[in-house]
Amino acid sequence: MSSTSQKHRDFVAEPMGEKPVMALAGIGEVLGKRLEEKGFDKAYVVLGQFLVLKKDEELFRDWLKDTCGANVKQQGDCYGCLKEWCDAFL
Amino acid sequence: MASTQLTDEELFSELKSFGFTPGPVTENTRPVYLKKLKKLREEQQQRGSRAGKTRSSGAIHSTTGGGNTAGSRPASHDVTHLSSSRRPGRKPSVLGFSSDESDAETPLKRKGLNHSSRVDRNSGFPQQLKIRPVTTPTVATKSPYGATSTVNSNNSSPGPGGQRSVSLGWGVRARSSPEAEGRDCDESGEEDDDYEGGTEKNSRSLNGCGASHLNTSKLAGDYSDSDEEEVGGLGAGDKPRDRLEPRRSHPKAEFPSHVVGRGSQTGGAARQVNPPESLNMVGGRRQEGEEDEVKRRDSDLSGVFRSHNFPRKSIYVSLAENHGGEAGKNNHVDGEDGASRSSSTSRFAIGLRPRFSNYSSLSQTYRGNHSNHTAPSPNHSYSQAVLKQKLSVPEDELLQQFKREEVASSGSFSAHYLSMFLLTAACLFFLLLGLMYLRMRGTGSSEVDGVSKYPTREKAEKDLILKLLLNLHDHLAHVAGTCVSFVQAQNEEFKDLILTSLEWIIRTGQDVGIRLTGHVADKPLTDVSEISQLESTHPKMPFVCRFRRAFLTVISRVFLIAAVVGCVWSGVCYMKYRWRREEEETRQMYDMVERIIDVLRSHSEACQENQDLQPYLPIPHVRDSLVQPQDRKKMKKIWERAERFLSANESRIRKETQRIGGADFLVWRWIQPSLSCDKTSLMPSKVWQGKAFPLDRRNSPPNSLTPCLKIRNMFDPVMEVGENWDLAIHEAILEKCNDNDGIVHIAVDKNSREGCVYVKCLSAEHSGRAFKALHGSWFDGKLVTVKYLRLDRYHQRFPQAQACSTPLKASASTPSTTNTTPRLQHRGAANSSGFS
Repeated sequence: MSSTSQKHRDFVAEPMGEKPVMALAGIGEVLGKRLEEKGFDKAYVVLGQFLVLKKDEELFRDWLKDTCGANVKQQGDCYGCLKEWCDAFL
Repeated sequence: MASTQLTDEELFSELKSFGFTPGPVTENTRPVYLKKLKKLREEQQQRGSRAGKTRSSGAIHSTTGGGNTAGSRPASHDVTHLSSSRRPGRKPSVLGFSSDESDAETPLKRKGLNHSSRVDRNSGFPQQLKIRPVTTPTVATKSPYGATSTVNSNNSSPGPGGQRSVSLGWGVRARSSPEAEGRDCDESGEEDDDYEGGTEKNSRSLNGCGASHLNTSKLAGDYSDSDEEEVGGLGAGDKPRDRLEPRRSHPKAEFPSHVVGRGSQTGGAARQVNPPESLNMVGGRRQEGEEDEVKRRDSDLSGVFRSHNFPRKSIYVSLAENHGGEAGKNNHVDGEDGASRSSSTSRFAIGLRPRFSNYSSLSQTYRGNHSNHTAPSPNHSYSQAVLKQKLSVPEDELLQQFKREEVASSGSFSAHYLSMFLLTAACLFFLLLGLMYLRMRGTGSSEVDGVSKYPTREKAEKDLILKLLLNLHDHLAHVAGTCVSFVQAQNEEFKDLILTSLEWIIRTGQDVGIRLTGHVADKPLTDVSEISQLESTHPKMPFVCRFRRAFLTVISRVFLIAAVVGCVWSGVCYMKYRWRREEEETRQMYDMVERIIDVLRSHSEACQENQDLQPYLPIPHVRDSLVQPQDRKKMKKIWERAERFLSANESRIRKETQRIGGADFLVWRWIQPSLSCDKTSLMPSKVWQGKAFPLDRRNSPPNSLTPCLKIRNMFDPVMEVGENWDLAIHEAILEKCNDNDGIVHIAVDKNSREGCVYVKCLSAEHSGRAFKALHGSWFDGKLVTVKYLRLDRYHQRFPQAQACSTPLKASASTPSTTNTTPRLQHRGAANSSGFS
């Protein structure tokens, strides 16, 4: 089992509700700010984008990189976090 | 290909032509899909030119997999990340990642947990398992890595530093195993350098046997409330300990203490505690079978580490022991452990756990680690060296974790002794002050100097006068009162001089110890003839008399002050009591008003349906139906206030006089036409409404960890009305878990924004059942989540819960009695269907 961060575990443990986008694993202050500027101010909006991209990893990673400049690790964290959340709650 | 000129549909169809099914092409996804298209085209060309899986392998994957390989990819990505992104540029990567993972507690765990990543890469590292006292080779090998590590930076001296680095590597081995399977391996490779060494073998061996339950430990760790109550690691760690240890109490006992000691070491120079104190503490707390080890440990510590490190370590050693002593009540996490392992070790572990929750996994891994190596070299020196090394090993990782704890603990100890010292010093000081004060009152004779200054007198006369005055002074001092012309009788010689001396006293104007008072008091004397009384200003009283006088004055003054303070304080208390009472009464009055309104409204609605009823209700009837007979007298005042309030402030109710059955009654009539929106605006009252998601392994811990739960999102404090809504919450919880007889304490945090409710159960099993029943359910339109809490924190917060041991039962009333309003009756059907 791959290792996950505390943030990831916290996010996946419960429905995201109104959590801010910075609650996503891999998204910290800087990236979160950028996403918010683009209009992705809540985690569920990013989730929406993730679902629109049909949960495809590469597409989502590319999108994330283009939108907020996430590096490979951050992309991976965010993708993994959302994917696991979807597996648990969708 | 001018892909920028593609419309969405064209892009869509182009992508499809490559066999890839894209999602909707929106403005957000357009750039992504454009890139994808480009990649697909490139890859197509390359596929035509060569059949290699080079850069385009990713594209191939993407084309073929779509979302299918997504599942496997994160793992591989993580692994690659682990191996590739960690080593090079560790420091910059730390900075880069720190923006993401800004949790306060993650660095703590991460430091301890980083080393899992190291596992992969340490294949070439020399075996350190058997190396006990050797420092140089490991130092040499570690130096390229460890030069800039924080661990080494902490060790300012090369000797201990080398040892520490050795032990670091050693300890990391132990630690890496649980972390290998999946703790946080994101960040800060600060200690990574040191921990690379020798991790692989140990971790591998531990991994082999511990992988499964280490996994569970990880999961368990996830679901406890990470902010303050870190339970997961604790509970989880028990399992590996269970399997890995061959119950060696001797070295195991060392472990926690070393871990502790090391943690204490890193506290920083600021946290110094008196060495004698620590020694005393250590000496004061002994446990069976541990005495020798403790002594040895102490000697080791003193020998190995510097003085400023030693006190902390020994303190923590003793703390560990101390906490070991209280293991019984701290043993909630691993209830099954207590019997199974050697008492000392378990106590150590358990004792440590509440103190250093985050590193519990470390201690456990140490124990496991140690167990693996006890066979190879179970000798005393080994354990001793282990001690030294162990002590330094967890140091850095636990640095921040312990910072707070250490400050608290060392501060508390030093504060304890400091406060005692200050107290004794103050007492002594005051005692001295009192004695001095008493002495001052009784002594003093300075008139000798004054007399010697007396001008123009012959020596003999002067001596006589002096003698006279001294005599007089002494006598007056003894008598301490007024004395009239006693001296004259005393000595004939003095007779003629008495007048001159008195005259001189008047003239000299200074206080010679004798006060002259005339017939009229308080008038300055000018002439000898006016003198009628002599008084001593410095009475020489015996000590007892002095003491008594002083004591009495002090006591009387103290009483006076106390009486004044007491009056003021009682006045304040009374005011507060009155104020509270008034508030309570007002609240009750409003509650009553609301109930009356509801009754009247419902009655008017009933009247509309049933034309036989009168549209008004007699006031006494309303009162008697709302207020129980036994409360009528008590509520009389409130009822009257409510009545007055209604007539003054309520426009929908009219008071009139009606004749009912021949008698005149004051009645209330509801004159508002019923509004349909009234009913629809009713929120669902406190009922359970089903489950949102099934509880599976992923979103709930596999086993229940503690008997205490924290339930979130059960209410919104700003929206709550009524006086006993928290009781309604209690009832709701009990009713939801009515098959679970183990709930002993419920506390509703009325002020929390998140709507938190704290529940304590009889045992972890009960809490696990309650968790399953509550987590993820809908209540009152809100999704409820549950987390486990540590028992000691729960007790800290709710000390009254420590005594609770009787299971609570839901009251027998139906769930809709939270409000006495009839609107619930409308929803009765809906409620019953909503129960899960």
